[in-house]
Amino acid sequence: MNMRDRDLWMVILSGLALGTLGVMLSVWGNPANSGICVSCFIENSAGALGLHNNPRMQYLRPELIGFLLGALASAAIGREFRSHGGSAPLLRLIAGIFLIIGCAVFIGCPIKLLLRLTAGDLTAVAGVLGLVCGVWIGIKAAVNGVELGSQRAEKTGSGLLMPFLFLLMLAFLIMRPDFINFSSQGSGAEAAPWVAALAIGFLLGGLAQRSQFCITGSIRDLIMVGLRSYMPWGLGTFLASALIVSAATGRLHLGLYGQPGAHLEHLWSFLGMLLVGWLSILLGGCPFRQLVKAGEGNTDAGLVVVGMFIGGGIAQSWGIAATAAGVSMYGKAAVLAGLAFVLVVSLLFRKRGTL
Amino acid sequence: MKIDKFDKLLGLLLASVLIALVLVLWQGSDRQAGTAKAVADRVMERELTYQARVALLQKLYGPVDELRRKGELQTALLKLDEVSRQYPGEAHGHVLQAEILHEMGVLEEALASYVAGIRLNGEYIDRKSPLSRREAISRLVTEGERDIVSRAKANPANRTLATALTNINYLKSRLAGGCE
Amino acid sequence: MSVCNMLHKNSASLKALTQLLITLLCTFGLSGCNFKQERKVMKIGYMICNSEQETIARFAPLTRYLSDKTGVEFVPVPVDTADFEGRFQKGEFALTHGNSLLYVILRENHGLQLLASEKRGHFGSRTAGAIIARKGGGITKLTDIRGKRMVFGPMLAPTGYLAEYDLMLRSGIDPERDLAYYAIPPGSYKHEKLIYAVLYGQFDVAAAPMLDLETMVKEGKIAADDFVILAQTPVIPYCTFGAAKETDPKLVAKIRQALMELTPETAVDVAGERIKVLKAAWVDGFEELQDSDFNPIREMAKRVNMPPYAKY
Repeated sequence: MNMRDRDLWMVILSGLALGTLGVMLSVWGNPANSGICVSCFIENSAGALGLHNNPRMQYLRPELIGFLLGALASAAIGREFRSHGGSAPLLRLIAGIFLIIGCAVFIGCPIKLLLRLTAGDLTAVAGVLGLVCGVWIGIKAAVNGVELGSQRAEKTGSGLLMPFLFLLMLAFLIMRPDFINFSSQGSGAEAAPWVAALAIGFLLGGLAQRSQFCITGSIRDLIMVGLRSYMPWGLGTFLASALIVSAATGRLHLGLYGQPGAHLEHLWSFLGMLLVGWLSILLGGCPFRQLVKAGEGNTDAGLVVVGMFIGGGIAQSWGIAATAAGVSMYGKAAVLAGLAFVLVVSLLFRKRGTL
Repeated sequence: MKIDKFDKLLGLLLASVLIALVLVLWQGSDRQAGTAKAVADRVMERELTYQARVALLQKLYGPVDELRRKGELQTALLKLDEVSRQYPGEAHGHVLQAEILHEMGVLEEALASYVAGIRLNGEYIDRKSPLSRREAISRLVTEGERDIVSRAKANPANRTLATALTNINYLKSRLAGGCE
Repeated sequence: MSVCNMLHKNSASLKALTQLLITLLCTFGLSGCNFKQERKVMKIGYMICNSEQETIARFAPLTRYLSDKTGVEFVPVPVDTADFEGRFQKGEFALTHGNSLLYVILRENHGLQLLASEKRGHFGSRTAGAIIARKGGGITKLTDIRGKRMVFGPMLAPTGYLAEYDLMLRSGIDPERDLAYYAIPPGSYKHEKLIYAVLYGQFDVAAAPMLDLETMVKEGKIAADDFVILAQTPVIPYCTFGAAKETDPKLVAKIRQALMELTPETAVDVAGERIKVLKAAWVDGFEELQDSDFNPIREMAKRVNMPPYAKY
């Protein structure tokens, strides 16, 4: 490992920023242990856009907008913006739905999973195990020829569609037209100041685009090549910084019970995150990475993001999202449906005789 | 790239549509005050609906609160039964029942009632809601932990105590916050 | 010759095949037969609350459920409260369902084991008693009942007699001396009768179980505003399942588990009808209490000089 390699330090910086700011956003007003949670933010934003009517979860999260636009800006500056896509687009949209379903049943995306863990929430352990297992299964599937097909270059405009839509959301956030919902109670009303949140999202999106940092990608690299890859270093930095900042801000409460936004159905935490891990490998990144890739002009990732918004809407509308009381029957059925989906995809999208 | 007649036609149409869009938005901004008023009206409407609900609850359950103030807790429970017959499934009834049972020292049932109420409506655990019962719930959780946890440890096979513990843990989790 | 050998061999094979077929047919045929297995029969003594018919209607589905879950053929036996201890002592039934005072009596005198307690009403497996008067009748506090006519529930009713009697004694009112007179309604449905007796002015004051007040308010038979609750007793356990001390511990554990597993949706077939067990029994579920939870009743019984501590 070359300690002078700029890429290494970029990854470490990304991890450091994500871990530190992930906790600080919670200190500055975001829900407890949810300083950054792509799935929760998508559910909130879906509610703001009217995709569900849970009055407690409606807010256009500026962080989400910042992630994508920050990635766009970084890609543009680094001349890395390229419109490309065309690899099983509809399937990716559906996969995006199940990505959020998996997160909603656990109550958190892979970033929140680790933020919860570093805040002492031991219920996240089952989720970590599930995520690692899911990534491992995804790797095995990839090794056995499961892939969604290659992408091709597209006309420049197509890659700008998602950034345009997110710019529109930014306009909605600032202008607050009456068709956009804003919660006055519940977790949707808990938010860091929007300018700070947007700026932080922008910074993190840019750093993630530069470094290509991704939680599930880090786990994948750790399994496949160990510490020779830079990604696990970013993951380690993320964990360390989040743990230190949690402790320093008095948000470290070690235990299984009484944790914010956590339930005790460990099996479903495991399965939800297993689904997320597996899908993330199939799609080439966790929910956060999908946003960053969409900002880079990846239209397939853009469709995953659209699918995630749909998933955010139905997770709330159909009672799929878990709560502190536990996982509903619909949530369990949805996770199992997601696992069936990814199994069918693995069967159908497999290049046989590759190994 | 060679631009032909069709490209020019498309360009012209696009320019027309964009101009029309700008005009529509401009007209909308001319009625900026109206729009702002519409937004304000919507916010106000939401707020009024909310306040009306709070006022209605206070009116409906007022007799129960009155009996509680007089210390007639068992009559308050009976009165609550009467109101709940008309409005089954209303979270406020569960929460009031929890408060009365807590005052009467029936901790396990009080916990179960709070859980039922909060699962129906999370406002009762919000910090800023006028219906917030955070303090009362925190007190009950503390008392419940003192009483029930030790009994549950002494009787690990007792399912009733296990259920009470589950309720305590749920309330603790809700008090801690999170995305709900 | 070879043809004969062939025929001989074939007929032997045919015979073996036929025998196999017959054996298989018998096996399949017999497997469809529903041999009634001999099940152990045990009786559950159910204390009569209001009437014998009502008690059977309430608890027959629960009894059937316990039979299905444990493999023991349970038979419900309605038993008058006054006769309960005697019949239990004679061994007429090994399992009991009765009120908490009855549990204490059987526990102290015969070593009854605690199985599970019914959850019903606001206080779950507990309830309370109240001393009530009709609103507007001029009686507004407990001390006003001196010289008045009072109606109690049955003497062995913990929240219809014992708790209120104890409450009065602790408040310095002696029911034997300080009332004009007191009575216990005759016949069945005593609990409802005493509440109606006050409502319609036949008596001034009643010792009313809170559970009956709750039920009657929920059913719209009375209104909460009809009465003044002059005093309320401490909250104590109520109806309870018990098992004789010689009962097989494994069976005791099975019964307890079966009771705890009951949900509002659990249903059984009784006389060709599908009946929800808890709904039929008027019960919300079962809870595990400990024997020490019944100590307040023991203390009350001692103060009031009632069984099992009665001294003559």
